[in-house]
Amino acid sequence: MIRKEVVKIISSHIGNNPIISANGFMSRDLFEVNDKESNFYMIGSMGLASSIGLGIALKNPKKQVFIFDGDGNILMNLGSLVTIGSLKPKNLVHVVFDNNSHESTGGQPTNSSKISLEKIAKGVNYTVFVIKSKSKLISVLKDIKKLKGPVFLLVKISTSEERSKRVSWTPITIRNRLMKSL
Amino acid sequence: MNEEIQRKIFHYLKKKKIENFVGVPDSTLKYFINECLKNNNIIITTREEEAIGIATGMTLSQSNSLVFMQNAGFANSISTITSLVQLYQIPLIFLIGWRGYLSDDAPEHLKIGEIQPKLLKIMGLKSQILTEKNWQIKCDWALNQIKQKRPCALIVRRMFHD
Repeated sequence: MIRKEVVKIISSHIGNNPIISANGFMSRDLFEVNDKESNFYMIGSMGLASSIGLGIALKNPKKQVFIFDGDGNILMNLGSLVTIGSLKPKNLVHVVFDNNSHESTGGQPTNSSKISLEKIAKGVNYTVFVIKSKSKLISVLKDIKKLKGPVFLLVKISTSEERSKRVSWTPITIRNRLMKSL
Repeated sequence: MNEEIQRKIFHYLKKKKIENFVGVPDSTLKYFINECLKNNNIIITTREEEAIGIATGMTLSQSNSLVFMQNAGFANSISTITSLVQLYQIPLIFLIGWRGYLSDDAPEHLKIGEIQPKLLKIMGLKSQILTEKNWQIKCDWALNQIKQKRPCALIVRRMFHD
């Protein structure tokens, strides 16, 4: 699977629940395949999608809040896993798209292949699913609404040459759209 | 700043609808932080950038937030402030303990203490110094800034050694 494909499957499955997406190609893919008011495209502040998502999840307990993170992004802010795992928001779903690389900056390797993000997430109280195929992804999504968070979906993806266009909304518009949707 | 005023500031801001207090502890602000803890209204994060991210999410959910930190953490946070808080115009109040205000503070604080006022100015993050006398006026100033959707900073000078 490639990121764009997985982004499309998850985002079209979860209705208008908020998605906080990491900077770089992650947000570009989401913008291209399923642009919605409830998407927050983080275009700077690398590493912070999980923290922004936590703030939204804590204040919107009736909505299931999705974080679309990359391996490079979460490795920059592993501390956020500690904070999320200690606060245990039931409505938080943290999706990490793991291609073992900093694809947005030229495909340099991350260290995600040398350590276990799965074990780290388990160690900080997440319910963890490792997803390596489309069929597994679809079966996990089927019950996603019923899962008690924090949930960690570690989706193994391959790198891809496919490039999505840049997010054309201004940051202020992205902010206003999300606020309206909450 | 003395204990009584620090504790009062928490209650004043809370009364004025600041609902979330998120940050990394600083000894200059310890009574303020202790009051947040006593009132069970605090999230202590691993780093300051994380605190800003969480407070941003809460503010996007129409819940006003304050982020507390030492100025060492302010230095950590510059990119997050420019590329998240200022870029998206997120109205947060920063409460920053000013280490290195005294020229004989511990050596690790001296450089950042010296350049902090210039950094704030260059970044275009409006700030005011809170004192035991002016705290209420300055808190009102900060509340007014966020009402106008502008982030701002309140600075507490470190006036003692330990």
